[in-house]
Amino acid sequence: MTLRLNWEVTLLIILVAEILLFGALNPRMLDINMLLLSTSDFICIGIVALPLTLVIISGGIDISLGSTIGLCAIALGVMMQAGWPLPVALGLTLGLGMLCGLVNAALIHYTGISPLVITLGTLYLYGGAALLLSGIAGATGYEGIGGFPEAFTNFANYTLFGLPVPLVMFAVITLLFWLMTHRTRFGRHVFLMGQNSRAAVYAAMPVNGMLYGLYALVGIASAISAIILVSYFGSARSDLGRDLLMPALTAAVLGGANIYGGSGSILGTALAALLVGYLQQGLQMVGVPNQVSSALSGALLIVVVIGRSVSLHREVIRAAYRRLRGQRKLTGA
Amino acid sequence: MKKWLKSREMSALAAIIGLFAVLVVLNPGYFSLQTLAMIFNSAQILILLAMGATLVMLTRNIDVSVGSTVGLCAIACGVALNAGYSLPLAMLFALAVGGLAGFFNGVLVVWLRIPAIVATLGTLGLYRGGMLLWTGGKWIEGLPASLKSLSEPLILGLSPFGMLVIAILFLASWLLAKTAFGRDFYAVGDNLAAARQLGVAVNRTRFLAFTFNGLFAALAGILFASQIGFVPNQTGSGLEMKAIAACVLGGISLLGGTGTLIGAFFGAFFLTQIDTVLVLFKLPAWWNDFIAGLVLLAVLILDGRLRQALVRNQRAQKYSRFVAPVSQGKNVTPFTSKKKKEVA
Repeated sequence: MTLRLNWEVTLLIILVAEILLFGALNPRMLDINMLLLSTSDFICIGIVALPLTLVIISGGIDISLGSTIGLCAIALGVMMQAGWPLPVALGLTLGLGMLCGLVNAALIHYTGISPLVITLGTLYLYGGAALLLSGIAGATGYEGIGGFPEAFTNFANYTLFGLPVPLVMFAVITLLFWLMTHRTRFGRHVFLMGQNSRAAVYAAMPVNGMLYGLYALVGIASAISAIILVSYFGSARSDLGRDLLMPALTAAVLGGANIYGGSGSILGTALAALLVGYLQQGLQMVGVPNQVSSALSGALLIVVVIGRSVSLHREVIRAAYRRLRGQRKLTGA
Repeated sequence: MKKWLKSREMSALAAIIGLFAVLVVLNPGYFSLQTLAMIFNSAQILILLAMGATLVMLTRNIDVSVGSTVGLCAIACGVALNAGYSLPLAMLFALAVGGLAGFFNGVLVVWLRIPAIVATLGTLGLYRGGMLLWTGGKWIEGLPASLKSLSEPLILGLSPFGMLVIAILFLASWLLAKTAFGRDFYAVGDNLAAARQLGVAVNRTRFLAFTFNGLFAALAGILFASQIGFVPNQTGSGLEMKAIAACVLGGISLLGGTGTLIGAFFGAFFLTQIDTVLVLFKLPAWWNDFIAGLVLLAVLILDGRLRQALVRNQRAQKYSRFVAPVSQGKNVTPFTSKKKKEVA
């Protein structure tokens, strides 16, 4: 408990330091409106990283979420193009996202193959389905499906109490997930499932049922971020979510989730998502091209993980150092 | 029969032959060695990457950074050539860059004890960024003809690079199957602690796996530059997942210790064959990923169920002498069917 708390505080300190550093390089970064509004660019990373954290805690992984986002976005575009009413289209998009998640869970349950392999397969399946849909709808290339009603495209740009709507949604979702993970029985069960799924089975937990729930959550979150992305960009493309998987995984891991399952923190993931997002924004503002900034978030991941690895294996390193010094003394004498 | 069913290389080979048969039945004009050579030519990059990924996966690790390594090495080769260095020197330089990139992954995983997927996720971004910083995001063009000629057909529709790929495949398969050096990879992946107890140089083997993977990626990068003739700045992105998918198709387990290079070869060949067949049928390109995903999942489901059944069968046989023969089926099956066995 104390360690996890420490980690979250550390992340918060890194986040503040990062913003101050970029603020020193470019004072516009410190403008409070700028800080709030620029979150819309990257907040979807956080929205999918939260349920992904839960899945990682349970000992699984879902790498198909980028494709799920693309599929949901294209499906939404196609439905709007066909002139379906907005609420129906939104509802069906959420349903499609959930279905994608449920298919993942069903395949994992049915075959007993590791989630990484199954979601690798569905990564191609959903991505291919998205391409197929956009191809059939005649929206090839980078233009995608556009021409959405104003009410929908303005949605992502509205503000609520001075906060952009996507950020508010992120905050609400974070709160919900935090409550679910750290304050309910379900959350506890997820942790046990990740620690030792056999023990969870013997404790009469519905391990397979929880599997469906967790992957469905990832699917729904992917659909939500697809809706936000389509609304924000004003067009539906099949490759909308392609660049979201790696940052989302980075956020979950940076936030303290153990990739082997059994530990993790929702608050940590939320902070790490902001950390990764502001890093990209800040670098852009300092004048580093977009592509390079994604590389530097890779470097950030490595540095932070090395730091954590060193602090976790402090004893081993100390022993090795002592051994080394002892040897030197022996050879010196 | 059971052994045949168990071997995943054979099911991948059967899939290849089946798909080829479909192609030939629908259009007999494609029944030639040329078609196969053409598929092989476009599969070479994926084959190299799948072979590298096999080494890493055998030691129970995973490397998702190869896509960026391919790009980095292609750039390295191109930059060296355009700076006026000779072709062998440029290729050596690219190989050195790839080897270093792989070695760095090894440092992160073996010495710093970072889970492989996390470490290589980081280096995926890092190498891509290094590549973009190096070139300033520009494409590399105007590569000399000597490089391009290496991927032009020479004998039997095979290019010099194609022959190199086949030679490496056979040499590495022999090493992995027959020498103690190669068996170390299996031992490390199957049971790390036991391998250490037996005196296998565990850390060295894992380092070698990552470094060889980097070298294979470098070779794939050179091959890319040679086949395309220029190096775009997004070279290789997405290839890492494709290489892993090829390995999984070819029967290499992510849990380490199972699989052969031949399987990886068949898996990569089959994935490319799907694309080629779709092109030959003049289907629009948007079908590719969908069908590849469907096939991959179908193979996985079939294989997963088959192996579950095999395990159940073995367990039933093992315990059959402890239970009364009459109630055998009834007593054993419900108990074991509850067991969830992870297979890949």
